[in-house]
Amino acid sequence: MTPEELRHKAAEERTAQKRYKHCLNVCMAAGCMSSGADQVKEALTSVVRRYGMEEEVPVRAVGCMGLCSAGPLVSVEPKGVLYQEVKAEDASDIVTSVNDVPVKRIHCPTDTPFFTRQKKIVLENCGKVDPERLEDYIAADGYEALLKVLTEMKPAEVVQQVTISGLRGRGGAGFPTGLKWGTVSKAGTGQKYVICNADEGDPGAFMDRAVLESDPHRVLEGMAVAGYAVGADRGYIYIRAEYPLAIKRLRLAIRQATRAGLLGNQIFGTTFNFNIELRLGAGAFVCGEETALIASIEGRRGLPRPRPPFPANYGLFGRPTLINNVETLANIPTIIRNGGAWFASIGTEKSKGTKVFALAGRVQNTGLIEVPMGVTLREIIFDIGGGIPEGKKFKAVQTGGPSGGCIPEQHLDMPVDYESLMQVGSIMGSGGMIVMDETSNMVDVARFFMEFCMTESCGKCVPCRVGTYQMHELLDRIHRGQGTPTDLELLKELCDVVKNTSLCGLGQTSPNPVLSTLRYFEHEYQELIAAANQAHAATPAGEVTR
Amino acid sequence: MAWIAKNSAGTQIERREQPYLTDELKAKFEAEVLPRYPTRLAATLPVLHELQHRYHYIPYQAIEEAAAFLGVAPAQVLDTASFYEEFWLEPKGKYLIMVCQSLSCELLGHGSLLEKIKSKLGIAPGQTTPDGRFTLMTAECLGSCGTAPCALVNETLYENISVDNFDRVLDSLQ
Ligand SMILES: Cc1cc2nc3c(=O)[nH]c(=O)nc-3n(C[C@H](O)[C@H](O)[C@H](O)COP(=O)(O)O)c2cc1C
Ligand code: FES
Repeated sequence: MTPEELRHKAAEERTAQKRYKHCLNVCMAAGCMSSGADQVKEALTSVVRRYGMEEEVPVRAVGCMGLCSAGPLVSVEPKGVLYQEVKAEDASDIVTSVNDVPVKRIHCPTDTPFFTRQKKIVLENCGKVDPERLEDYIAADGYEALLKVLTEMKPAEVVQQVTISGLRGRGGAGFPTGLKWGTVSKAGTGQKYVICNADEGDPGAFMDRAVLESDPHRVLEGMAVAGYAVGADRGYIYIRAEYPLAIKRLRLAIRQATRAGLLGNQIFGTTFNFNIELRLGAGAFVCGEETALIASIEGRRGLPRPRPPFPANYGLFGRPTLINNVETLANIPTIIRNGGAWFASIGTEKSKGTKVFALAGRVQNTGLIEVPMGVTLREIIFDIGGGIPEGKKFKAVQTGGPSGGCIPEQHLDMPVDYESLMQVGSIMGSGGMIVMDETSNMVDVARFFMEFCMTESCGKCVPCRVGTYQMHELLDRIHRGQGTPTDLELLKELCDVVKNTSLCGLGQTSPNPVLSTLRYFEHEYQELIAAANQAHAATPAGEVTR
Repeated sequence: MAWIAKNSAGTQIERREQPYLTDELKAKFEAEVLPRYPTRLAATLPVLHELQHRYHYIPYQAIEEAAAFLGVAPAQVLDTASFYEEFWLEPKGKYLIMVCQSLSCELLGHGSLLEKIKSKLGIAPGQTTPDGRFTLMTAECLGSCGTAPCALVNETLYENISVDNFDRVLDSLQ
C-alpha cells in the first residue's frame, strides 16, 4: 500500500460510513458473545433485511464496549443510544425505533459516571470498529502513525516523542518506555527484535485480552512503530493459549495487514521491513516474565534467568530485544499522532496518560474501564463501578494480582498512580482490580494468591520453589484454624527471605499479598490464631489437633 | 507445579508404523515456520502445538520424531513439553473442560460449579471420563473476571455460568 492508497482507503471508508443514517453495533467480544451476542446480531440482521433497510442501517460486529456485566450490548450510532441485556426478541423493536425514541425496556443510560468519568485512549476504538475489518481501523486513522514515522520522522525522533510522553510500561513494573526504546535503539546494529507480551496471566486481569479482541490492528501498528524506532525488522507476539478468540482475531489481523502491505517488506514504499509472528504459550504463568518468555520462544522451558544482562542488550537469540506489554504498545499510535506532549498533559506528574482497569469481584458494574492516572480508588469503585452490590460494605480492593496487595477503606481517596499504590503496599500491576466486601476473609485471599504463586513457580530458584510452598502451608494452617503465634512469626520471616532472595519477579513479589493483608488486617490472622489456641486448650490431653 | 519431575524412566513407548509428524507437516514447518527463526529449536512450541492439535495429545513417539526433525535430543523436547501445563503427554478427552479457579470466579461461586461437574462426570480435576468424552481441569484466571464464574470448553468460553445452565451445556456435548 502506498501513502496515497492508505489515505484514499480511509476517505472512501469514511464516506461509506456516512452514507448510512444509522448503524447498529453489536459487541462481539468474549463477554457479550458468551451471553448470546451472535444470536442478537443474527436477529438484527434478519429484521433489517425483512424491512429492506440494509442500505440505511447496517449491522456491524464491534469489540468490547466495557460494560461486560450488562451484555449483550448493542449501540445505535451516531445517536449513541446504548441497549443492554439485549435478546434476539428485542431485535425488531430496536430496528423499528432507530428514528424514534429508544426502546425503554432495554435502554442503558450513558450519562452515568460509568461512561462520563472515563477517558479513552487505548480503548478509543473498542466498541466502535469491527475488529475483523482492516478498513474500519483505517477509517479510524489506523496506520496513520506508522505512515507518519516512516515518512516524516527519524527513529531517534520517535524515541524522543515516546520519552516526552512519559509513558510507562503497563505490564507491571512501570518502567519508562522511552528509556527502554532508547536503550534498544542504541544497542548496536544488526538483528534486533520486538516482542509484544500478551501472556496476561495475573488473576483478575483482562485488559490485554479485550484490546486484542476489540482492536488488534492497534497493537500491530504499535509494534511496527516500535520496530522502526529501535531498528528491528521482526516482531513476536507471545499470547497465552487460553485466549482463543484473541488468537483468532490476531491471526486474521496479521494476515490482513500483511496482504495490504502494512506489514512485510518495504512498507509504504520505504526501506523499512517488519514481519510479525504469533507465538502461543501453553499454560505457564511465569512465561509472562520477560526472560522466561524469551526462553519459551527459543523453544525451551520457560525459566527466567538473572538480569543483567537485560533483554534490551541481550535478549531473544542473544540479540537486543524490546519487550513491551500489549497496552503499552496500544498507546503508541495515539502518542505518535497527537504528539508526546499531548499525552504528557494527561495524568499525574509521574504517571502520564490513562490506565485501563479490569473491574471485577463484588462491584456493581464489572467490566473494562479506562481512566486518567490520578483518579481516586473511590471514584473508580463507587462512581464508575457503582459501589458494592446487595447493600454490603466495602472491605478492600486487590490490585496488581499475585504481586500486589489489598487496599483498605482508609486509602480509598488516594490517587491511583504507580507511586501512591506502592506506598500503600500494593502495585499498579497490569490493571486488575478485584473488589471485596465484608464477607471476604483476608487470610483466605492471601492464601489464594500464595497457592497461585506456589503452583506457578518454575522451580529454578530455591527461595521461590520452597518458600512459596512453606508460606502456603502456614497460611493454610492459620486459615483452617490450626495456626499458632509461632506460625505467624515464621510466616513474616519467610516473607522477608523470599522477597529478598528470589531470582525473578514471581518470587520477589509473592509475599506482597501476605504483607499487605498483615499490614491492614492482621487482626484477622490474630483472631484465627486465638480461636485455634482456645480450641487447643479445650482439647483433652493426649489428643492431637494437627 | 512445573518443576515436579515427571518420572518417565522405563516408559514403554507405544509405536505405530505411520509417523505422527508426517512429511506433509514437516514440509509445512520448513516452509512457514522455520524460515522465521534463526534456530530450529525455536520451532519446538509451534511443532508441539500442531501435534497436539492434530492428535489431541503428544505421544512419546511424536516427541522422538519432533526431536529428529528439530535436530535435538528427544530428552530436550520432552523436557520442554513436560514443563508446560497444557501440553498433554497422555490422551485426553474429546472435550477439555477448564474451570477457572482464580479469585473473581472463586468469589462468585466457582466452588459449587466444580463440585457439580465433578459429581456429574464422576472425575476429579486432571482425570478423564472412562468413555473418553471429558477431561476436567482447573485453570488460572481466564480473563473473564467481569463475567465470573467461567469455564473454557475446548475453544469455547462460557461465562456467567450457573450450575443449571452448565449442566445443560455438558448434556449437549456429545
Ligand atoms: C511472574 C511475572 C509475570 C509477568 N507477566 C506479565 C504479563 O503477563 N504481561 C506483561 O505484559 N508483563 C508481564 N510481566 C512483566 C514483564 O516481565 C515485563 O516487565 C513487561 O512485559 C515489560 O513490558 P512494559 O515495559 O511494557 O510493561 C511479568 C513479570 C513477572 C515477574
Ligand atoms: S478469575 Fe475467573 S476469569 Fe478471572
